[in-house]
Amino acid sequence: MKKLPILSLLLVVVTGSIVSCSDVKREPSRNYMPDMWQSRAYETYAPHKNLEDSQIHYTNMPVSGTIKRGEIFPFPLKRDGVGDSSNYIGSKQIVNPLPMPDTLRLKESERLYLIHCGICHGTKLDGNGPLYKDGSGPYAAKPATLVGDAKYENMPEGQMFYSITYGKNLMGPYGSQLSTTQRWQIIHYIKSKQAKSVPKTDTAAPDSTATAAK
Amino acid sequence: MIQFRPIARVFLSFFLLLTVLSINKVSFAQDAAAGKVIFQGQCVQCHQVNRNATGPALAGIEERVPDKKLLYDWIRNNQKVLASGNPYFTNLYNEWNKTPMNVFSGLSDTDIDNILAYIKAEASKGDAAKGGAAGGGDGSKEQADKAQSSDNTLLFGILTLILAIIALILLQVNANLRKLSDDKEGVPAFEPVPFYRNKVYISLLTILLFVIGGYFTIQGAIGLGRNKDYQPEQPIYYSHKVHAGANQINCLYCHGGAEESKHANIPSVNTCMNCHMAINEYTGSAGKLYTESGQEVNGTAEIQKLYEYAGWDPAAKRYVNNGKPIEWVRIHNLPDHVYFNHSQHVKAGGVACQTCHGAIQEMGEVYQFTDLSMGWCVNCHRETKVKFTENKFYSIYEKFHEDIKNKGKDSSITVEAIGGTECQKCHY
Repeated sequence: MKKLPILSLLLVVVTGSIVSCSDVKREPSRNYMPDMWQSRAYETYAPHKNLEDSQIHYTNMPVSGTIKRGEIFPFPLKRDGVGDSSNYIGSKQIVNPLPMPDTLRLKESERLYLIHCGICHGTKLDGNGPLYKDGSGPYAAKPATLVGDAKYENMPEGQMFYSITYGKNLMGPYGSQLSTTQRWQIIHYIKSKQAKSVPKTDTAAPDSTATAAK
Repeated sequence: MIQFRPIARVFLSFFLLLTVLSINKVSFAQDAAAGKVIFQGQCVQCHQVNRNATGPALAGIEERVPDKKLLYDWIRNNQKVLASGNPYFTNLYNEWNKTPMNVFSGLSDTDIDNILAYIKAEASKGDAAKGGAAGGGDGSKEQADKAQSSDNTLLFGILTLILAIIALILLQVNANLRKLSDDKEGVPAFEPVPFYRNKVYISLLTILLFVIGGYFTIQGAIGLGRNKDYQPEQPIYYSHKVHAGANQINCLYCHGGAEESKHANIPSVNTCMNCHMAINEYTGSAGKLYTESGQEVNGTAEIQKLYEYAGWDPAAKRYVNNGKPIEWVRIHNLPDHVYFNHSQHVKAGGVACQTCHGAIQEMGEVYQFTDLSMGWCVNCHRETKVKFTENKFYSIYEKFHEDIKNKGKDSSITVEAIGGTECQKCHY
């Protein structure tokens, strides 16, 4: 009987291949003609360490003071050092350079707020976003209550801008995620919401726009 | 009657004990409830019971500061205590980067006692939760389920094989029996041809091999350079299921480049640290984490890896060294001869991320959902209706605009109609 060893060998091979095959694809597929696949130019996120070897110094960062096309002038104040709060206090004097937005712009600002701020400060600006969830979310500290807390209702727009740009307490800096215009837009949105909730802050909001309109 | 007396006594004392205990419990609960209200109102901005926030975790505060009066003074006016030079609080103040605590002069002794009762209750709850997590009951069950399902395929395979062998043996037996009966009846037998020389068998096998081989060759050739289901291991186990799913973070929070540029950017480490300065442990908001091969992942350890990359010291709560970029493995690649622009699709086209990337909010590890082949692109361009309403980008298409005006929203204009399948749209 020669068949038995052949059959059993077949059985072992088949079961072995079924067991050893994982359906997780950890390696990419092969390419044909990779010269048309890979870019000869340096694409975004391509490794470029070899540039340094050929004496080309590529810094990844735009030249300091660069303003992108169509952007307004940047915030004039630098970030405070540790234990210093002079610029934070000084930022109170800076007014929102954007004119009071129309409904379409305000809608865009709301969209930006919901993407970047609402996650902590809540869709209703009550400091109860999905990350905090009355303390049951992963975020440990309660985020600031933007509507309904006198401290934030009376906060000058410039100081808000400072906090968004450089961060405050446990809030991180958003200067890299939002452009200068977008940050001012979001502040407009927050102020418009605050003005709706408590009439007494009405004096603060038109104040800043009056100076900005000049 | 006499023998019942001790039993009655035991009963009575037991009853008394129970009453005392329950009274104790009620008063304790009331304190904690009142304390919770004050805690949620005034303390929670900076403090948590079981973890550090802007200020230190408060669990076990009464063991650390046994002197009640000192604690009252500290909570009401911490600056005064600091000025008096108390060593414990001065150290604490320095440890926390001299972040000043607010002054709560309005709190009475009872208020503070209530808060402390609440902290004690919460702290013991936290301990219980930790003990429970160590047991890890349903996690192991899940794993067992997973193992079960993979075992099943093996079982079916073996069963099929056994059945095939039995069928073969039965065929042989059948042939032998027929030969025997033919011999008996005197029917002249053919010279038996072994099956490997049988022409019918050989030609059938050749055709079968040709079909199977051809199928796999063609599949392999089509699959060259395509990466559907590609799921590389990343330097950090980052779960989209936790972030985009359970915690509802918008895709554009991290990948804001998707609506502004060609690339949906990979977030830099500082974007991670926006939240992870405060969130330093994984509390299981999306259940236990598993890699695709079934190993359990410790979420808190993965956050520690992030801190290493960022150069962040979680104990001191500040950046201590320069950090280094995380080298994520890129999953979605297009050949150089294809131009693809995210902002065109996200901003002008209004396409949802999930259309091309799949249910990303349910992925523990991200895999490539579509094959990103040209046929797939062209097919979508043929079928997708252009969103003209409230879309400045397409305002130049006056002719189509009129069409919409006349026919209303049900215009039949596809992306192809406005040049979506022109070669140079993607190849130039």
